[in-house]
Amino acid sequence: MAKTLQERRAERQLMIVLLPSLLLLVAFVIYPAIYSVYLSFTNEALTGAAARAPRLIGSRNYMRLFGDAKFWNALFVTFVFVLGSAIIGQFVLGLVSALALRRRLVFRSLFSSIILLPNAAPEVVAGFMWISMLAGGDHATLSRIVSFFGLPTADWLQVFPLTMIIVVNTWRGIATAMILLTAGLSTIPQEIYEAARMDGATPAQMFRRITVPLMMPTILLYMLISTVSTIAVFGLVYALTRGGPGGATELISIYIYNQSFTAYQLGYGAAVAVITLLVSLVLGIAYVRAAKVEI
Amino acid sequence: MSVAPPGESANRGRADLMAYASLSLISIFCAIPFFWLLIASFDGNAQLFLRWPETWTFANYLRVFTKEDGAKWLFNSLFVVGSATVLVMVLSGLGGYALSRTRAWWKLPFLYAILLIRVLPSTALIVPLYKFLLTLNNAEGALLRPIFGGATRDIMRWTGFIDGYLGLILVLATMQLPLSLWIMKTFFDGLPRDYEEAALMDGATMIQRIRRVLVPLALPGLAASGLFAFMSAWGDFLLPLILLSSPELQTLPLGLFRAFLRINEIDYGLLTALAFIYLVPAVVAFGFARRFLVQTFSGGVKG
Repeated sequence: MAKTLQERRAERQLMIVLLPSLLLLVAFVIYPAIYSVYLSFTNEALTGAAARAPRLIGSRNYMRLFGDAKFWNALFVTFVFVLGSAIIGQFVLGLVSALALRRRLVFRSLFSSIILLPNAAPEVVAGFMWISMLAGGDHATLSRIVSFFGLPTADWLQVFPLTMIIVVNTWRGIATAMILLTAGLSTIPQEIYEAARMDGATPAQMFRRITVPLMMPTILLYMLISTVSTIAVFGLVYALTRGGPGGATELISIYIYNQSFTAYQLGYGAAVAVITLLVSLVLGIAYVRAAKVEI
Repeated sequence: MSVAPPGESANRGRADLMAYASLSLISIFCAIPFFWLLIASFDGNAQLFLRWPETWTFANYLRVFTKEDGAKWLFNSLFVVGSATVLVMVLSGLGGYALSRTRAWWKLPFLYAILLIRVLPSTALIVPLYKFLLTLNNAEGALLRPIFGGATRDIMRWTGFIDGYLGLILVLATMQLPLSLWIMKTFFDGLPRDYEEAALMDGATMIQRIRRVLVPLALPGLAASGLFAFMSAWGDFLLPLILLSSPELQTLPLGLFRAFLRINEIDYGLLTALAFIYLVPAVVAFGFARRFLVQTFSGGVKG
């Protein structure tokens, strides 16, 4: 079917109004992503001889990665961080909140507002507040709470650094999990529960046999989204610990930053970044396919 | 409504009680860190730990503006994030309209691309982005210096790509574009074409159609797109950390972070007041955005 002149003109106009967005995305996202692949094969640095005359060094950065204990440490820390905060912490507390908020409770909107609050706090403010919560000495809030229960206090960020950043990130992300899971719960028809209740099912049975299986797709999507977004966490943990003590909280994002802007090894930093980009991209593709996003 | 057997209502009561208990515990967990910020910022002798002030005072807030450059940081943050938000609203309004209405071959690839761009962590892009911006910045400097000479630095403060407002605004806006384009595309999908077609029949040009018909209809969508862009750009720490170095360009997150790093002279009253000033616009925007949260989170990849 031949397009009319008017239709073709309209299509051209649509392309023109989209062009500025396309240009910005290509310049500041797509091109840097491709450029990082190139950089990862060079010995590019911010200072020194390599900064003036960077050259291609083949796969040497990637070889170095495999033997770099700090890189494996960063991968391990990131894995535990994602598992502890996104997959377990945020998910469990988000699910409990979503289930509880489905009931007709008196302070429902007050509860949900408070749970949303940590998500609204900027990363640096959140980190700063938790420095006070977790400070050493008997006056810090967490130390007071545990000693109220008769437990020993500690300099939390020094003794349990990884556990603490998991707690903090869990705190920040309960809202996201709650919102997504609430949306998933609302798609389960109420009639199914009523039918089950007629048949004499207990609440525990209904949860296991109805809620969990019907929520599976939502849960899977939540896991993928939160994994990807937790891999990207930087400011919250950087403001709290800057990766320390001794690399105990050096997430892959902090490792990239430190390699590039503290050690000035841009090429090596880019190799780590490329690995991170690939992992995120694979999870992202899995998400788009699993979500059957309507376009 | 059917009459519930006696065991059922007891069950319900116990379940409600459990719901109250767990929600209370989770709410306490969520709210507790904020207490220190709120109380210490009004404490005449604020400490790192939570305590009831002996004297209540506004002096901490005054010091943010007299002793530190709080006013400048606040202006920089508002200016940079505000400009980026306006830019995102304009671009996502136009682009979202195009993505919704076009029948061209690039529609699907473009939409899949912006979904996938949203999963790329900005920490992984920051190194090549920095290199690229440095190149642009040097080129701009080389171009301007022969014309403006010594005044170049003052101009580059506004138009530079590294350590200049323009670069930070453009990059911040770009990072918010995928979500905003998605929101606007979905929004326009829900608007019937009848209005535009009627306007087209009446011989309205593209510009007239946008101004008279589409903008008024699209305002709720633009509000959502702008709010999410504002919240995300306002909270961003990485980009200003890497792109800015001059003290006169510092934004609130940088001012807060750097003031905290001066270990020997930490003034907790001033820091908490500063953090509270930085927190308020974020919470207000979040309050407005609440009703859009569900659609946005479930519609695309997370916000």
